Amino acid sequence: MTHYDNSKPDTEQRRNIRRTALIMAGIAVAFYVGFILMGVLRA
Amino acid sequence: MTTTVADTHEEHDHHGPEKGIRRWLFTTNHKDIGTMYLVLSLIMFFVGGAMALVIRSELMNPGLQFVHPEFFNQMTTMHALIMVFGAVMPAFVGLANWMIPLMIGAPDMALPRMNNWSFWILPVAFGLLASTLFMPGGAPASGWTMYPPLVLQTGDAFPFLIFSIHLMGLSSIMGAINIIVTILNMRAPDMWLLKMPMFVWTWLITAYLLIAVMPVFAGAVTMLLTDQFFGTSFFLAAGGGDPVMFQHIFWFFGHPEVYIMILPAFGVVSEIIPTFSRKPLFGHDSMVYAASSIAFLSFIVWAHHMFTVGMPLSGQLFFMFATMLIAVPTGVKVFNWVATMWRGAMTFETPMLFSLGFVFLFTIGGFSGLMLAIAPADIQYHDSYFVVAHFHYVLVPGSVFALMAGAYYWLPKWTGHMYNEKAGKLHFWMSTIFVNLTFFPMHFLGLAGMPRRIPDYSTQFADFNWMASVGAIGFGLSQLIFVYVLLTAKKGAKATDRVWEAPRGLEWTVPSPAPYHTFDTPPVKRVAEEAFE
Repeated sequence: MTHYDNSKPDTEQRRNIRRTALIMAGIAVAFYVGFILMGVLRA
Repeated sequence: MTTTVADTHEEHDHHGPEKGIRRWLFTTNHKDIGTMYLVLSLIMFFVGGAMALVIRSELMNPGLQFVHPEFFNQMTTMHALIMVFGAVMPAFVGLANWMIPLMIGAPDMALPRMNNWSFWILPVAFGLLASTLFMPGGAPASGWTMYPPLVLQTGDAFPFLIFSIHLMGLSSIMGAINIIVTILNMRAPDMWLLKMPMFVWTWLITAYLLIAVMPVFAGAVTMLLTDQFFGTSFFLAAGGGDPVMFQHIFWFFGHPEVYIMILPAFGVVSEIIPTFSRKPLFGHDSMVYAASSIAFLSFIVWAHHMFTVGMPLSGQLFFMFATMLIAVPTGVKVFNWVATMWRGAMTFETPMLFSLGFVFLFTIGGFSGLMLAIAPADIQYHDSYFVVAHFHYVLVPGSVFALMAGAYYWLPKWTGHMYNEKAGKLHFWMSTIFVNLTFFPMHFLGLAGMPRRIPDYSTQFADFNWMASVGAIGFGLSQLIFVYVLLTAKKGAKATDRVWEAPRGLEWTVPSPAPYHTFDTPPVKRVAEEAFE
C-alpha cells in the first residue's frame, strides 16, 4: 500500500498493485459465497 | 503550473489515441474509458427517463390512459433498474475514471485492461436487459426489488434479468477493485490519505461498499435462479424456504446501494463549493470521518425497509435508532458545506448553482428519510407515494444534480473550452423548478394514502398527479438543454489550465483539455502543494 513513486523499482509497485487487487477480489468472492452458504444453511 | 506534465512522449512508444472504432473498443486510457462511461450513462438516463414519462403520462389522469397495467409494471421495474445501474452508477464511475488519476497525480488506473473490460461488460448487460421488452411475457415487472415469489412469475425474461444483474455486478466489482488499487498504490509522493481530495475519499469509501454488497446482491439473484430452474427452495415457503430471507439479503445490499449512489455526489459537491466560495473546504477531515461513518451505518439499517413485514419490537427499535443516527454524519456534511460558504466570496456559475440546489433539495430528501425511519409512522407511509417522493428527492436533485454539477465543473478541463454559461444556468433553473413540481406533490399524495406502483387511482389524487406529470414532462424537456450544452461544448472560449478562479487540486495543473497522457512522471512535492494552496 505504498505511494506511486518513480524511485521505486517497477516490480515492487506491480507487486503491491497485484496484492491489493487479489485481496479485494478475495473479499468479493467471500461475500458472494458466504451469503449463498448462509442461505443453504438456513434452507 | 503546466510544467508539471513532463512532455515525455518521445521517450515512450505510446503516443496519442488509436484511430477509429479501435480507439474505443481496445482503449486502456482512463480518460477514454471515463468518456465512454459518461456517454453510456447519458444514453441510459434518456432511456430510463423515457420510461418515466410513460409512467407519468399514464398517471396524468385517473383511469387507464395509454398502456396496459402489465406494461406499466414493466416500465416501473425497468425505469428503476436502468436509472440505478445504467445511469447513476456508471456516471459516477465515469467521473471517477476521468478525475481520480488526475487528482492523485497518477498516469492511469492501476489495472487499465480490467478497466476496459469493466466498461464493455455494461452495454452487453443492458442489451440483455433491454431485449426482455420484446420477449413473450414482456420485461420483468416485479419492481427493482425482485421479491419472490412474485419475481418467479416473470416469463422468458427471468434468466436474462438475472444474467444482466450478474454482469452489472461484475462490472461494478471490477471497477471498485480498480479504484481502490489505484488510490492505495498510485498516489503522488507526499499525498497522504488525509490530504486526498474529498472526491477521491468518497470514491474510496464507495468502492469498499461496492465490494462488500454487490457480491451479496449477486448471491441473492443466484439463489433466485436456482429456485426457478434447479429445484432449490431458498425463498419458496412450499419447499421450506423463506421469502422474507430474500428481503433481508436484498436490503443488506440495497441500503448501502443508496450510499453508493450518494457518497460520490457528496465528493463532487465538496470539490465545487470551495472553488466558488474561494475558501478551503471547512472541516476536510471531519468530512472524511462523516463519510466513513455513513458507510459503516449503511450496513446496520437495512431492515427499516421492512418494518411492515413484521419483526420483534427490539428489532424495530434497533433499526429505527440506527437509521436516525445516520442524520448525524450527514448533518456534519451539510454543516461543513454551509460553513465553507460562510463569508466566502461566492459566485454562482452553473456548477455552483447545481451544488447549492443539491444541498437544499437533498436535505429535503434526508428529512423525509428521517420521517420514514420512525417505525410506527412508517406503517402508514410504507409503499405509498411518500416513499417515491423521498427517494426521488435523494436521487434526482441529489445524485443527478451532483452529476450535472460535476459535468459542468470539469467539462472545460475535458474539452478545453468553456461551455455556454447562459444555457447552463437555464438548465439549472428549469431543472430545479420542474423537479420540485414533479416530486413535491408526491409527498401529499403519499400522506393521503396513494399507493405506489399502480397505473390507476382514486379521483381524489387527480390534481397532484396532474401537477407531477406536467413537472416530469418539463424536467425531461429541460435535459435537452444539457444535450445542447454538450453539443456546443467545443464552441466556447478557450479554457485556461485552471479554468476557474480558485480551484484546488492537481487536476488543475495540467493543460485544458487534459492531454491523452498525464503525469507520466509524478508531480513534484512543491507543485502538489501549490495545487492545494
